[in-house]
Amino acid sequence: MPHPRYDVLLLLPKAEGRGPSAVAGPLTASPLSDDSPRPSRPEEGFFAFFALRGDFNNPDTTPIRTRRIELLLTIHELTAHPSPMPDYAHPEVLVSTDWAAEHLDDTDRVRFVEANEDVLLYKTGHLPNAVNVDWVQDLQDDTVRDFIDAEQFAALCSRMGIEEDTHVVFYGDKNNWWACYAFWVFKLYGHADCAVMDGGRKKWEQEGREMTTDSPDFAETDYPVPGSADSSIRAFRQEVEEHMRRGGPMVDVRSPEEFKGEITHVPGLPEESAMRPGHIPGARNVPWARAANDEDGTFRPPAELAEIYEDEEGLNAQDDTIAYCRIGERSSHTWFVLTYLLGFDQVKNYDGSWTEWGNLVGAPIETGEAGS
Amino acid sequence: MRSIEDIAAPFQMMEPDMRLELLLEYTDKLPPLPERYAEMRDAGMAMVHECQSPVFLMPEIEQNGAQTVRVHADVPESAPTARAFTAILHEAFDGATPADVRAAPDDLLDRLGLSGLLGMQRTQGLAAIYRRLRGEVARKAGDETAAQA
Repeated sequence: MPHPRYDVLLLLPKAEGRGPSAVAGPLTASPLSDDSPRPSRPEEGFFAFFALRGDFNNPDTTPIRTRRIELLLTIHELTAHPSPMPDYAHPEVLVSTDWAAEHLDDTDRVRFVEANEDVLLYKTGHLPNAVNVDWVQDLQDDTVRDFIDAEQFAALCSRMGIEEDTHVVFYGDKNNWWACYAFWVFKLYGHADCAVMDGGRKKWEQEGREMTTDSPDFAETDYPVPGSADSSIRAFRQEVEEHMRRGGPMVDVRSPEEFKGEITHVPGLPEESAMRPGHIPGARNVPWARAANDEDGTFRPPAELAEIYEDEEGLNAQDDTIAYCRIGERSSHTWFVLTYLLGFDQVKNYDGSWTEWGNLVGAPIETGEAGS
Repeated sequence: MRSIEDIAAPFQMMEPDMRLELLLEYTDKLPPLPERYAEMRDAGMAMVHECQSPVFLMPEIEQNGAQTVRVHADVPESAPTARAFTAILHEAFDGATPADVRAAPDDLLDRLGLSGLLGMQRTQGLAAIYRRLRGEVARKAGDETAAQA
C-alpha cells in the first residue's frame, strides 16, 4: 500500500525506559520509496520507529530533505528537539496542534474532521478547512441500531471530499472522546491513514489558534464503497460471552458507580436504562478519561498509561482485550489508547456494551469492585 | 418572557439543519449569572450532574405578594447545546408563576423538535436540566405533590 508521506524511517535501538528523544546509541535509517510497505509496529530489537513526514516534490517541505541527511549523521537533532509526540507505540496516529496549524491549507492531502459530543460546537467555530462529522446524524443508523453501512460510509467520505489516500485527522471536544469514536468507525471501514490531533479542541483553543465559522466546501469525491467492516476491532456479544468464559481480559471504562452497579442510568429516564446494574464478570474498571491530561486534553505519556492499564490493572499487550462502556463510545477512546499508544496486539471495542449486556437474558453479571 | 408555544413554533416549522441554527442563536441569550451565585457555582453546588458539561442551575421563587420564578443559570460556551437549551428555559420561565412551570409540557424537547435531532444521549442531559428546573421550582414554591412527581 503506498504511503508517500513517509520518506525516511528511523529505527532507534531499544534502550530500557528511554524513548527516541533520549536514545543516544547508533542510529540506522532506511529511505522508503513510495511503494514500500509501512511497518505497523516497531521492528524487533528497536524501541520505536520515527517516521518523518513530507513530500519531496513539495517546495514547502524541502528543508526536511536536508534534515534527513543530518539525521542520518547525528541524533543530536532528536535530542535537542524532542520528537513532537512522546514515544507511543504508534506515534504516526497522533499529530500535534503545531503540525495541524501548518497543514490547515493542505486540503488536497489532509482533511481535518471535527467530531464533538456537542452538536452545536462546530457551528460556533472550528479549525479552518475542517469538516464536521456528527456521531448521531452521520455515524449511526437508528433503523438498524448500528453504524452506518459501507455505502453510507462511502457517501459520507465523498461528501466531505475525502479520498482513499486522504490523511484524515480527527479532533473534537471532551478530550477527543468523539474524535476517537469517529476514528474507530473510519478504521472499521478500512480507511488507511487516520490520525487524532492530540489535545483536540481544548488545546487548540487554549493556544489561541485560529478558528472560523466558515464551513469549507470541498469538491465531492467518489470514495469507493468498502468491503465488509473490519471485525478485528469490533466485538459482538457472542464473542464477548466466549471471551468472558475463557477469562479473557476486559476493561470497563464507565464510571466506578456504573461499574459497581450503584447506578444503571440517569434517574427518571427508564428508556435509557439497562435492566441490571453492574459489570461483565472479570472486567477491570478504568474510567476512560484517566487516559487524558485534564489540563489540555492531551493523552498521558506512555509511562503513565502503562502504569494505569498494565501495572495497576494487569492488562497485557499480548492478550486479546475487549473494551466496553455503555454504548461503545467512551470505550473507543480506550480502544485507541490501548491499540495505538500502548501497542496492544488485539483490542476490540464491544459497542453493544452495557445497554446490550445489562439487558440480555442469561448473561451473568457482577456487582461491586473488580475481583482481584 | 415568551410562552413555550411561541418559542416552539419556529422550531417546528424548520428543517433539521435550520433548527440547529435556531438553537445556536439562543447560545447568546443566556443572561450572565448574577455575581452573588458565582461562589456557589465555583464550589460545584447546584450542578446538573447528568450533563456532560458543568451546568449550574439555581431556580428561585421571588415572594412579592405573588410568587415569581427566577431562573439563574450558567453554562460554559464550550457546551453550546446545553447553554442554548438553558437560555430557552430562561426565556420561557423567568418571570413565570410556579403554576406555569407546573403546567408546562413534559415533552418540551419533542415540541422543540430536538429529540430526534440530538439523539438519546444528548437529550438525556437536556431533559435533566428541565427536570431539575421543574423539581426545584415545585419544591421551593412549597408544592409537595409536584416536587415528588
